[in-house]
Amino acid sequence: MTMQQATSSSSVRKAPARRHDTGRLMQETAMLAPAVILLTVFLIVPFFLSFWTAMTNQPLVPRPTPVRFVWFNNFLRIFQDDLFWTALWNVSRFTFWIIPAQCGLAFATALLLHQKLPLRNLLRGMFFLPAITSMVVVCVIWGTLFQYPTGPFNQILGFLSGGAIQPIDWLGDPQWAMFSLVLLSAWQAYGFQMIVYLAGLQGIPDELYDAAKIDGANAFRRFWHVTMPGLRPTHVFVLVITTIQAFKLYTQVAILTQGGPKSSTETVVHYMVRAGFEEQKMGYASAVSVILFVIVLVIALIQRQLLRRFDV
Amino acid sequence: MSDLALSIPEARTARPRSAARVLRTVQTVCIFIIALVIVSPLLLLVVASLKDDRFQILADMGSFRAFWVSNPTLSNYAEVGHLSGQLAFGRYLINSLIILVTTVCSGLVVNSMAGFVLAWGSLRGRAVILSVVIALYVIPQESIIMPLVIMVSRAGMSDTFAVQIVPWVASPLYIFLFYQFFTQLPKELLEAAEMDGASFFRAYRSIFLPLSLPALATVSILMGIETWNQYLWPILVTQTDYARPIAVAIATFFGQDSIYWDRAMAASVLMMIPILGLYLVFQRWFVSSFIGSAVKG
Repeated sequence: MTMQQATSSSSVRKAPARRHDTGRLMQETAMLAPAVILLTVFLIVPFFLSFWTAMTNQPLVPRPTPVRFVWFNNFLRIFQDDLFWTALWNVSRFTFWIIPAQCGLAFATALLLHQKLPLRNLLRGMFFLPAITSMVVVCVIWGTLFQYPTGPFNQILGFLSGGAIQPIDWLGDPQWAMFSLVLLSAWQAYGFQMIVYLAGLQGIPDELYDAAKIDGANAFRRFWHVTMPGLRPTHVFVLVITTIQAFKLYTQVAILTQGGPKSSTETVVHYMVRAGFEEQKMGYASAVSVILFVIVLVIALIQRQLLRRFDV
Repeated sequence: MSDLALSIPEARTARPRSAARVLRTVQTVCIFIIALVIVSPLLLLVVASLKDDRFQILADMGSFRAFWVSNPTLSNYAEVGHLSGQLAFGRYLINSLIILVTTVCSGLVVNSMAGFVLAWGSLRGRAVILSVVIALYVIPQESIIMPLVIMVSRAGMSDTFAVQIVPWVASPLYIFLFYQFFTQLPKELLEAAEMDGASFFRAYRSIFLPLSLPALATVSILMGIETWNQYLWPILVTQTDYARPIAVAIATFFGQDSIYWDRAMAASVLMMIPILGLYLVFQRWFVSSFIGSAVKG
């Protein structure tokens, strides 16, 4: 490439009308290929397969009888199964509780840490620690915290109430089991939302605060009229991520409650895994996974609409 | 980064300096106490892992002795570490490390290359691929897991390391993170490199990749946490100890009648250490680059 061409191409900047350069195109193809192949084989193909499998009576282990196409029978049977509706209701309840718990905790800690504090990175790390802790480890710890009747939570409650509050069977009582999972899950996962909120807070220009201050706005008004509007897209993002995560609730349930007691913690993914691997009905389980996908898609589309409305 | 973050300006008004300093100290102490409350379950875990008697662990849980160990011992760790022991946690831990390192390293290479081509390449169809990648982000892992299990078992890949690594190397989210990071760098860098006779790959390898440390750090942390904490997938595709990760091994404790809390605690602490190390190494760049990309994506 001559100097002249180079200057002219950089002065145009956009659309560098490149000459056909085979070597470069081959390099680009080679660099893109691993990702494209992996995504195709392990994401796109199984995604479409899940729709096909959902309409068959595919078993887990191959049987001598051929796999039959059953159209929408799996879906019809899912919708007729009370346990599925219970699972859907349970994850909705879970979502309803975890949004204030988790997002509230994340927002509050982000506001606390978004100041010039000594040891700020240490504090941030401490608050973020649960988020890097594996859910399995979290279950080990919280399993002991929830012990009935002498676990730490019950002891603290008893101590604070002077013995008035009877010990609660956190994981064994249908009234409390889902709530206990909310506490544990919120504690484990709020760290990521906290980081997102910290990022959002950093994105609000200081000039807005200075201007508000000159206008005589007090701390509360600055928070309400500068911080909150500035965080609108962040709020939407955090709410959506939390909702989608909530609908995928699985590990805590599989380890601590197995859907019980009395189906009070049965969830959509747990229902799906049980159908697929305990009852060996892959077609049926795939149909559940398609329903899960549709739910997630709807939530994501709502996010897009909201963000558009907020003009981000 | 830390100075940019300041958006609640310090009190510069008439208030005396010393009063402001006292206020600040009180505030810091309060936040520190809250942080201690938040991490207290983890402190409890570490303390419990140093107790030898598994019945004592549960007995202590109801009192402040849960936070105190009179004669700390590392015997639980020693037992966990025994590779040939009855509960071969050492083996599982090594399995997990192999999976972690391989997945993250290959993920950094594959996703950053793809992100770079999508950002600065001249391939036709680049825009289409980019929008497909973004659209794929909506598909949750849980939605594809059923057919994927059938696929890998038909391919004879069950119970291998590969089956826990290969499917999760390429990821729409990380490709997009790299794409976004590279587009923020000036295109002149690429033009200058090509003028000097460097190939497209060479420009990526020697100029753009070293500049993308924040993106590499972010993806390493996110991908590391994700891989390390995987539970559903490995439990479906591993049947023996051969390639089973530590998360699955710890989880099997819960099905047993007498839970070996002492060793479970020690294994849990060991499970936290590698990922904590990863976080500590990369956290300097993590928060700052997590920013807008996540929110607007």
